[in-house]
Amino acid sequence: MTTTAVTVGMAEIHVTKGVGIFTCPGLGSCIGVCAIDPITNVAGCAKIMLPESFPDKQVDKPAKFANTGIPELIGMMERLGAERTRIAIAIAGGAQVFRFGSDCATSKHDIGSRNVKAVTDALNRYGLEPMANDVGGSNGRTITFTVETGIVTVRTAISTEKALANLRDLTGNEDV
Amino acid sequence: MMAMGNVSLGLVELSAIREMANAGLAHATKSLSEFTGHKFNVDVPYAQSVALTRIPMLLGDGEQIYVGIYLPVKGEVEGHIAFLLPWESAQLLWKMVMGRAPRTPAEVDEDAASAMLEVGNIFNGSFLEAISDIAKFGFSTTQPVLAIDSCSVILAAIVSEASQGDADSMAIDTEFFDDEHTTSGIFLFLPTVSGLRSLFSALGISKAA
Repeated sequence: MTTTAVTVGMAEIHVTKGVGIFTCPGLGSCIGVCAIDPITNVAGCAKIMLPESFPDKQVDKPAKFANTGIPELIGMMERLGAERTRIAIAIAGGAQVFRFGSDCATSKHDIGSRNVKAVTDALNRYGLEPMANDVGGSNGRTITFTVETGIVTVRTAISTEKALANLRDLTGNEDV
Repeated sequence: MMAMGNVSLGLVELSAIREMANAGLAHATKSLSEFTGHKFNVDVPYAQSVALTRIPMLLGDGEQIYVGIYLPVKGEVEGHIAFLLPWESAQLLWKMVMGRAPRTPAEVDEDAASAMLEVGNIFNGSFLEAISDIAKFGFSTTQPVLAIDSCSVILAAIVSEASQGDADSMAIDTEFFDDEHTTSGIFLFLPTVSGLRSLFSALGISKAA
């Protein structure tokens, strides 16, 4: 079976059952969310851009916002057979990319940290907690999630690739 | 007529926008040339309606390191302006204005950052000045901010900022370069949908957008 590689663009969600490699490049203030139910092999990856949808505007893409993107990701995975309570999650991103200039010290360009909080809150509403995260700072990230192994790796434009999590490693999970 | 989301533009509107952008860019490159002591030029700008999330794909989703200066525009015509240079071009620009350049992104200190913010300010400010002269509108700029990262990360961060208002925009972009083609970069102007409407009415094209 050929393993398909999928690039997850801004405000996109991709799900698969079985095999696949998700790459989420260009994560600045955006958050890459990797999720898997290791029993049914249903996995997904989302690239969330903003904390919350606007009450006065139609949501054009659910994955754009944390409050709509997380429910959409979980819903899509459940439709493929995932069991919500078994979903393991890793998140990365939420950097403050603009780091120089007088307005950087203020809260004007802090989408990244607001995204981290909004994604975590949205996951918590489903009783989910990221088992690993690499968030904040000022460097953009690229994450790669190999469904078969469950391994999520992260790199920045100036650093080499490092392992963030093995989402199939259920050590410490009392259900196993 | 080309339409996407809230932004519908006909040929008349597109050519008015491009003409205006051309004039703005001519003024901006003249200011940049004066500031750096090197002659700069620009290509004819593209103007296209886009879903904001497609911008990194259209302008550069590579992993090459860029220096990006971003500035939200407030006032009658709201929008977002950015000026992006590949790392090697930024180094040459630093040499032009400071006589020296950081060797690595980690070496960029406050001095180097403020010099580059000034370059971005001069270019973006001159562009806005020229188009506000033509269209007779007022604008106020906020403080520019600077990032050093891959092109895709910087563009994605700008798109996230812009997406707080709209899903679609008109992207006006071009490439600028010096006479010897050793320094080049990307200029991007993203008026908001309401900013675009104000711009059209200021230009006497009231039907569009």
